[in-house]
Amino acid sequence: MKFINLLKKELKDLLSTQTIMGMVITLVIFYGLGTIMGDVMEKAMASSDITICDEDNTEFTNSVLQAIETLGNKVTKISPSDESDPAKIMKNINSESLVVIPKGFTKTVLEDKKQAELKFINVMKSSSLSGTISSEKTSAIIDIIKEAVSNTLLSNYGFSQSDIATIKEPVLVKDITVVKDKSAEISLTAVSSLTMMQNMFLPIVIFILVMFSSQMIISAISTEKIDKTLETLLSAPVSRISVLLAKMLAAAIVAMLNAGVYMIGFSKYMNGMTGGATDKINASAEISKMLSSLGLQFATVDYVLLGLQMFMTLLISLGIALILGAMVNDAKSAQTVIMPIMLCAMLPYILSMFTSINSLPLGIKILIYLIPFTHTFTATDNLMFGNMAIFWGGFAYQVLLFIIVMFFAVRLFTSDKIFTASLNFMQKSKAKRQINSDK
Amino acid sequence: MPILEVKGLTKQYTKVLAANDVSFSIEKGEIFALIGPNGAGKTTTIRMISTLIKPTAGDAIVNGFSILQNPEKVRENITYLPDEAGAYKSMTGKAYLNFMASIFANDPQSAKEYVQTAEKICGLGERLNEKISSYSRGMIRKLLLARAVMTSPALAILDEPTSGLDVINALEIRKMIKELAAKGMSFLLSSHNMLEIEFVSDKVGIITGGKLMVTGRPNELKERYNAANLEEVFERVVKEHEIH
Repeated sequence: MKFINLLKKELKDLLSTQTIMGMVITLVIFYGLGTIMGDVMEKAMASSDITICDEDNTEFTNSVLQAIETLGNKVTKISPSDESDPAKIMKNINSESLVVIPKGFTKTVLEDKKQAELKFINVMKSSSLSGTISSEKTSAIIDIIKEAVSNTLLSNYGFSQSDIATIKEPVLVKDITVVKDKSAEISLTAVSSLTMMQNMFLPIVIFILVMFSSQMIISAISTEKIDKTLETLLSAPVSRISVLLAKMLAAAIVAMLNAGVYMIGFSKYMNGMTGGATDKINASAEISKMLSSLGLQFATVDYVLLGLQMFMTLLISLGIALILGAMVNDAKSAQTVIMPIMLCAMLPYILSMFTSINSLPLGIKILIYLIPFTHTFTATDNLMFGNMAIFWGGFAYQVLLFIIVMFFAVRLFTSDKIFTASLNFMQKSKAKRQINSDK
Repeated sequence: MPILEVKGLTKQYTKVLAANDVSFSIEKGEIFALIGPNGAGKTTTIRMISTLIKPTAGDAIVNGFSILQNPEKVRENITYLPDEAGAYKSMTGKAYLNFMASIFANDPQSAKEYVQTAEKICGLGERLNEKISSYSRGMIRKLLLARAVMTSPALAILDEPTSGLDVINALEIRKMIKELAAKGMSFLLSSHNMLEIEFVSDKVGIITGGKLMVTGRPNELKERYNAANLEEVFERVVKEHEIH
């Protein structure tokens, strides 16, 4: 009963209006971003008209335009103007790109049998990701036109559609990707870009979770110490262990709530990012089938294991934060004391973003694996690619480390050290000198 | 049987002997004040009796329970108000009292009674429904003092109960302590303000350098040392100690 009251007090402390507002705002922002990104991507990927100004206007160019339409694209023709400044031309038309077939195009291709010049004008409006997608779309337009021109040329020489296909693609590549003992007919590029998309948000959630919960418990403990409410609480008829556990459990609950909010928010954001792209290529269902046949899609048991792993990391960071927070004697050091935890979380976070930690040189790999948080950053990869020995080894190491951390935390809490321990060594020795000189 | 019997309490830190063989006792309804300058060992002694830190040697018996053998039982018989203590600023005064009562009480009914007692004692009225962050120092001290006595502990331990307070607030708190002692509650106070403590305590113990030099009733001590007040008693005790 007393423990429940302690826990309720800790939860009320941590779940302040500001914290709840923070969570709501996070959710709203991610949700909003997701919706916006979804719209942006959809617009960027939508097959818009290919605007063409056919200055040559011959039978050949007309059949090219027809071929473009046959390839499934809508052609909007605009009439030639006297304007030569591309910026002014683009201002007058309702399109972001324009293909100009100049006069003499047909002659150069058919009579001179040379490569003819096409003008391709694009308006750049942003340097963001959606801008990149627009540029991909424009290069696709070029490919379509090239294909249409060569198809028209080849059909002029009497080749049938199937002949053209064979000439253009004399070799058919069948991509097969192997993961452990499973294989699927999909290219490595497609698999890796999808798994990367799928996995990139997890490390961010872990990093935020570790930082947020550590800072929370450090400030909870240090405020109680500085305000001397801890002394009052520990002189009350309640066990020190229950005070310690209430603090840890409350921080873990609030951290998990936050993790949930980030997960929901971020997945919405990611859906917005990838939704448009996968809709366009209309292959998401196909690819996800491929991924699961390669064992790369998470089953329920994988999610459970990942959750367990994340919870372990959370508990270790809370334990370390508890010890660090108990050594804080003033508000200033309460803000800086989180540094060791931050570095330990940042190192594997950044490394796992840019490289596979398993592929690092042995010495560095061991050093990185000694950081308990690393095992959560690598957990997704280990579960996906079946490196279960590394996964369970890491988990066992985390459990062991958690026991050690908790052993020290309990010792600290049940001894005089909770009142005498300090990280301000200079201040401490100064205070001691003062006491000695008083005596 | 005394409510508190301190027997040779000693606390040795790595380099500092913070309390050196401290012994004294407090009877039921008695107000005992440990007086001495800053760093004399008052808080260390009080923290040992409150079971917050463990003594290097010696023991203290609170209402029949040893701080070494039965610290949990000791905590059921005492309340402790640390020097310059704060309260949970995000809570209202009422919520703070409810929370602390729930920690001390073994059933909801006694918790309710504790809160009612504290509400009467602290005299904060409607302000109890406001956040503690809006309270003045005097109001926080009154709230904490009410919290410390609401459970009617056998022994209330108050470290510098009036430090940092203005005259009116200090007077009110001293009056409150006297009234509660008259009803049978025992008090262990500490203060570096020797003049003030003279008016509130039945017995004082003069402590300096971790050593309890002398204990007695203020009037007896003033007579024994031919002094006008406790400050002069302290001065003569220290000098006498230096000569020996």
